[in-house]
Amino acid sequence: MVGKASLIIVVGFGFILGYISLNLNRLATNAVGNMSSYVDATASHNIAVTGANVGLAKFYGDTTWFGTMTQTLNPPHKGSFTVGVTDLGGDVVRLRSVSTYVLPAPVNETLRDTVEVYFNKRRRNSFSMFAWMTQFEGNVFWITGDTVWGRMHSNGMLHVNGSPVFYQKVTTAKSFDPKPGVGLNKAIFKKGYETGVASINFPDDLSELISASASGGKKYNTDIWLTFNPGTGANGDGIALVRTSPSGPIIDTIYLNSSSFNGVIYTTGRARVKGVVDGRVTVAAPNVYIDDDIQYERNPQTTTSDDILGLVAAQNVYVTDNPANNNNCVINACIFTKSGSFTAENYNTRPVSGELQILGSIVQNTRGPVGTFSGSTIKSGFSKRYRYDDRLSDPNFRPPFYPGFYVKTYAITNWWESYRVPSIP
Amino acid sequence: MGTILDLIASTIFGGMLLLILLNANDMALESQSIHYGDVLVQEILVSTIRLIEGEFRNMGFGVPERQTTVLWADTSRISFLCDLGRDGGTIDTINYWIGDTTELSATQNELDRYLYRSVNHQPPLKVGVVTEFKMKYETRSGEVLPTPVPADRRSEIHLVEVTVEVQNPYAISKKQAEINPGDRTAKYSIALWQQTRLASQNSRR
Repeated sequence: MVGKASLIIVVGFGFILGYISLNLNRLATNAVGNMSSYVDATASHNIAVTGANVGLAKFYGDTTWFGTMTQTLNPPHKGSFTVGVTDLGGDVVRLRSVSTYVLPAPVNETLRDTVEVYFNKRRRNSFSMFAWMTQFEGNVFWITGDTVWGRMHSNGMLHVNGSPVFYQKVTTAKSFDPKPGVGLNKAIFKKGYETGVASINFPDDLSELISASASGGKKYNTDIWLTFNPGTGANGDGIALVRTSPSGPIIDTIYLNSSSFNGVIYTTGRARVKGVVDGRVTVAAPNVYIDDDIQYERNPQTTTSDDILGLVAAQNVYVTDNPANNNNCVINACIFTKSGSFTAENYNTRPVSGELQILGSIVQNTRGPVGTFSGSTIKSGFSKRYRYDDRLSDPNFRPPFYPGFYVKTYAITNWWESYRVPSIP
Repeated sequence: MGTILDLIASTIFGGMLLLILLNANDMALESQSIHYGDVLVQEILVSTIRLIEGEFRNMGFGVPERQTTVLWADTSRISFLCDLGRDGGTIDTINYWIGDTTELSATQNELDRYLYRSVNHQPPLKVGVVTEFKMKYETRSGEVLPTPVPADRRSEIHLVEVTVEVQNPYAISKKQAEINPGDRTAKYSIALWQQTRLASQNSRR
């Protein structure tokens, strides 16, 4: 009798303890279930990111590809992604990658994550988008105290010694010497940098500008002295007075806002410029000389201004060595030199000339000197005060017919990744 | 005589089984309490980090390239820009910060506090209860920025290291009356999450 009762009791207790154990196991499983679901969600997300990267590789290999493709991961990995590229119109292209990740039984839920990458398909850009650009930097170093406020690019090696500050993204087709953060390169990149990017090719010639000067612009076959006059205080009534000698008679008066003038002045001789610009104009020549201050009527740093000047040289743009420029020189312009440099005339023999204050953009084939220094002491020429004209970051704002370049790939403008937010207990 | 011995033996045997059962019950309750605590803190943690991770990854979406994305960056407070609607319209300002521990003084755990999120300075939402929410900011070259990050260096932020810790608001197997203020011997379920290289692709444009 007692033996039977004991057996029943033991079996009963076994059931009770087994049930408790089962519940504890279930709870223990639930306790890690959240982390498990987080891992699954992360896996699904990573598959979507993988799809985006696969799609990017395909799209950059062939930018005419506007299709979709699906790939399934090989075991032991699981999941798949579908990636496609769509032209959204305007200048916008979107790449979308969607993952599919099925949770194992008994859940059998399908997780989907999305990554979208947006591109700007504008391929033709103006060189004025760069605050500073060179084909060759030469053996000139960026040093402590140097500051670049806008985008910067070089097709050559960028040498750094100290802590120059770059406020916008810096790109180079080669690399930095030394690498950032290594040795003496303590450069501060406010918006990062990228090395090994595609070279940006200069145009072979200035034929586009020359053609524009012959059809709607002004074309001369001699040395010209251009004095810009802002007209009245009103906006958009500036003129350019053209002479063939420094103080000779005016041979031409160009109304910059005239509907019959397309904004281009070109000469096969030298172009020498100074004055106050009220309007939009590009001066092009084999060599351009800046004889004195050349400024906008309305300073874009302090007020709304639509004044814009381009100085384009097939060879060099010089800051003339003359008395007017020997006590500071202020230049408001976008400067482009196709095969030469932007430099100060007689930079190593001219007197100490104060500050060279530039508001605009400097793009040159080879980085040109504007002075000589011994340590931090200037020995001849100018000390530099270069400031980017922020209006030029708008790709639609540039001097008339200002040289541009084609990019080989579309630029990524935005990157968005989906995320799921479970209900908070 | 034999019957009396049977009764004594069965009483002893039954008592032993009862003691085992009571002990097992206590253990089961404690284990259950621990597991429930783990489930709770992990639910809170996962909910919170999914939101943080998702929004931090999209930091800077739709913001013009020349504009600085991070408006404020401190160890436990961040404010940044993102076009949440993805419609090319208004750029939203998103803020995350933690409240004071006194806001949750009613709970046993004296370290827990609300994590707040607000968009465009609208009234804040409580998006979690955490015991730690810390951020560290790094530049592209790996330099750790001082906090709060000075205004002229916020555009250099490339990586955000986020640490979130959640503890159970209530101690395991202890009643409120049994816990003295500052008593850290009470057991709290803890879940910790750290993302050391949380970078928005938008910072690489």
